[in-house]
Amino acid sequence: MNRRLIAAVGTAAVLVSVAACSSSSTSSTGSSSPSSYAGKTLTVWFMSGSNTPKWTAQVQADFEKAYPGAKLNIQVQQWNGIGQKVTTALSENTPPDVLEMGNTQTAGYAATGGLMDLTSVKSELGGDKWAPNLNNSAVFNGKQYAAPWYFTNRVVIYNKKLWTAAGLTSAPQTLTDFYADLTKLNATKGVSQALYMPGEEWYTYFGMLLGQGGKIAVQQNGKWVGNLESPEAKAAMAVYAKLQGFSKAPKDKDEATPQQSTVFSKGDVGAEIGLSWEAPAPTAIPADQIGYFPLPSDTAGKPMPVFLGGSNLAIAQNSQNKDLAVGFLKIALDDKNEGEFASEAGIVPNNPALNSLANTPFAQAALPAAGQGDTTPNLPQWAAVENTPNPIKQFMTDVLEGKDYATAAKTADDEITKRLNAQQ
Amino acid sequence: MRRSLFGRTWPNAVAVVLFVFFVFPVYWMVATSFKKDTDIISTTPVFLPLNGTLQHFTRAFHSQGFWTLVLDSITVTSCSVVFSLIIALLAAFAVTRMRFKGRKAFLLVIMIAQMAPWEVMVIAVYMIVRDSNMLNSLVPLTAFYMMMVLPFTILTLRGFIAAVPKELEESAMVDGCSRRQAFVKVVLPLLAPGLMATSLFGFITAWNEYPLVLVLNKESAQTLPLWLTQFQTNFGDDWGATMAASTVFALPILVVFFILQRKAVGGLTAGAVKG
Amino acid sequence: MTVQSEGVQTHSPSSGSAGGPKAPVLKRQRSGSGAGRLSKATPYLLLLPATLATLVLLGYPAVKIVLISFQKLNMFELIQHTTVWNGFQNYTDQLTSGEFWHTAERSVFFTLANVVLIMVVGSLVGLLLNRLGKRMRLFLSVALILAWAMPVVAATTVYQWLFDSQFGVADWFLSAFGWHSMAHYNWFSTQLSTFAVITLLIVWMSIPFVALTMYAALTTIPGELYEAARMDGAGMWKSFRFVTFPALKPFFLGTTFLEVIWIFKAFTQVLAVNQGGPDRLTETLPVYSFVEGVGNQHYGVGAAIAVLTILILLALTAYYLRIILKQEDEL
Repeated sequence: MNRRLIAAVGTAAVLVSVAACSSSSTSSTGSSSPSSYAGKTLTVWFMSGSNTPKWTAQVQADFEKAYPGAKLNIQVQQWNGIGQKVTTALSENTPPDVLEMGNTQTAGYAATGGLMDLTSVKSELGGDKWAPNLNNSAVFNGKQYAAPWYFTNRVVIYNKKLWTAAGLTSAPQTLTDFYADLTKLNATKGVSQALYMPGEEWYTYFGMLLGQGGKIAVQQNGKWVGNLESPEAKAAMAVYAKLQGFSKAPKDKDEATPQQSTVFSKGDVGAEIGLSWEAPAPTAIPADQIGYFPLPSDTAGKPMPVFLGGSNLAIAQNSQNKDLAVGFLKIALDDKNEGEFASEAGIVPNNPALNSLANTPFAQAALPAAGQGDTTPNLPQWAAVENTPNPIKQFMTDVLEGKDYATAAKTADDEITKRLNAQQ
Repeated sequence: MRRSLFGRTWPNAVAVVLFVFFVFPVYWMVATSFKKDTDIISTTPVFLPLNGTLQHFTRAFHSQGFWTLVLDSITVTSCSVVFSLIIALLAAFAVTRMRFKGRKAFLLVIMIAQMAPWEVMVIAVYMIVRDSNMLNSLVPLTAFYMMMVLPFTILTLRGFIAAVPKELEESAMVDGCSRRQAFVKVVLPLLAPGLMATSLFGFITAWNEYPLVLVLNKESAQTLPLWLTQFQTNFGDDWGATMAASTVFALPILVVFFILQRKAVGGLTAGAVKG
Repeated sequence: MTVQSEGVQTHSPSSGSAGGPKAPVLKRQRSGSGAGRLSKATPYLLLLPATLATLVLLGYPAVKIVLISFQKLNMFELIQHTTVWNGFQNYTDQLTSGEFWHTAERSVFFTLANVVLIMVVGSLVGLLLNRLGKRMRLFLSVALILAWAMPVVAATTVYQWLFDSQFGVADWFLSAFGWHSMAHYNWFSTQLSTFAVITLLIVWMSIPFVALTMYAALTTIPGELYEAARMDGAGMWKSFRFVTFPALKPFFLGTTFLEVIWIFKAFTQVLAVNQGGPDRLTETLPVYSFVEGVGNQHYGVGAAIAVLTILILLALTAYYLRIILKQEDEL
């Protein structure tokens, strides 16, 4: 009997301990009047690398001042497996309230009905001042499903010490200049590779494609099809291959495996093509040792067009704190905070009036090219094209490894077409 | 004479080669985690981290919420293993020592259960847990991990119970014990090593599980595999940090293994010798 | 390890008593005063928790995944909680696609190659353990246990690092010992070399289980049997063929059964080493199901592939299931 008692107590204890660990802070919902925010928690998902520290602290302070008692729970998400994570989260009763979404993915989620329609609060959020071309990706079927947060584009980030050692004093004006500089760098002592450029950096390729006047996908008889078989795509790939030839980076990896910034941070790499957060930490290489210039094109003074990457902030349709979430967007996107973000991160803000605040060395290099930037077609199906395995990345690896261009492009186009026309 | 010397030497030589083959990856993980960055990325590998560093470990330990994850992992793993052992013990005893209708059907079901492709069933499990409002909790996680190891535990314990001579149990019953008493007093102590050996497998499975916890517990109640993969993406090719994280992750398993393995093997060989 | 020694102890010649004494037990139960009905129910009561757990925790999700396989379940349906039936479409799509059959074929061959390697090398290591002196045996066992206890996620990461094309030890080793073209070789650039790394990883992780179990099983074979064989003039091979193998048949059957299941289902190793690349050429069925279902968020399609995967696995193991169930009769 005694033993049984012990066993029973033990089991109960185990159960209790499990339950104790699991009693998470499920926000009490629906009980409060709009004016009392005590005990409420607003959960915000940012993507890894987006929210800068100063901006985050400032927004947090403003939020807690405006909504006393409410708590802001900021969680940073990894890109890996984010699709399923966001989809499942949006299907839940207590999803994250505010989510950062890539501009190429917003339409897809808007089409699922998982995002709150922000049309009625657009001007409250400052929507009248948003640059129309930046706002495009946040609009689906004429309704506003997200607020544009920022745009950014890639530039060449270079190591000044190594460039000086190679006898280079000014930024290249044309691609031909750039090739010559890279050749010199590769011949310089202490340089392991002139450029770190993995084979699957397809956003950079996208810019080169724009530079040739090409498009990644086109509409034929009302149907979207992949367009890598076009002569423009082939010419752009030749540019990419030529640049990649100066790099020892793997041809079958993208810029995140490994993070190109960690490779560049070692200090023996001449340059990388990346975003502002991919610049080395000051502890690795001092900031004044790092320079930026836009990737040149064939014409002097005219930078290569770029892929306009960016993010929107959306509110989950199932959010239990919609008023609080709208309030958060208002604070996060107001001129003070958006301006701070532009100056800290050097990105293109959603309001052109704040453009001048983005004057970091990175931003000075990035802004000239941004005017010639473009994004992928604003289709709900587009996000599927970028799902792993991304056919564009495979196509690039194949071409760089010497496979027949026409075959590789045809395979990729077929897959892109299939994904763009798959049932959502 | 020379041939017999050879005959005595080659097994030992092969054993040494095998030793290196099996130990090296584990050694390399631990060694890399202690090396300075310059030693990690050197064209000639540094085999002994003589002037090592602890910086990778400090970074691993200081990542946000690390100790909560450790606690959650330990709770989930040990609970699921204990529950599966208890449930499996009852079932295995019935299947091994009793004749009844449906016994074979039960065994067949358990063998098929062993084949369940959990990784691709994640979405079904997710929808069930979501619709019963149990997300972000350790309870469903524990329950499903328990189920993942249950079939194997039953099948294995069956073997261990069969190895305990029935005569012992019977003589205890002749001496006036009830069947339950005979089981608790005679069979259970003999089963201890078997229980330990079996729990190892459950321990590894539950400790490792990743796809399910990734979607079930997005907000809280997360476990270490999530941390490890996040660490990998955060630090990219910082192999020192990644290897330190892997070492930290592997260590508890290695320790448990060594504690349990010695007793399990000792007990079992003792049991087997009775023959 | 000792885990799988069940069959051995039940069937090895030394435990010939297994069949005998059950009669008296049953008799005693029947003669027990008034407890007859209870003892008849006892086995079912003992099976109740396991049955309940299996039904709720495995049966329910399994039924659900089968139902999903007949649905269109994409992002929209998942978020909106709507159910859209689409009949056999997911199945016909798969069964008429070359990709599915290629992947299935690849999975089967991958499983066969790995299981054969693991069983042959694992058994040899087991035999070696039995031959070694006490100290050497402990020495090797420690190594085996270390490899076996490595968590899959950690092991996969270590192998990626070992086979890194820039700083990996494997390339350095090969080139330092004369194979210079292997310096900075990219193992993940071709299907074959990627599979080579995955296979090495899986074999490395799986051999310890087979070897240690085999060793535990070997210790149950009475030495007299070998002596008798030796007196009849049997050499090493013959005594293996006529003494060891028959005694260990249950071990081989059971372990092969488990290994087939484990290798066929191997997911983390295959996915993590090179994400199924290059060009999706190293995707096995579970990875394919994951990529189509979770990666592309076509959960109905993924479910259909999962169901087909299980059917193939059942076909692969049907033979063992039958044999093992038949043995149950002899118990």
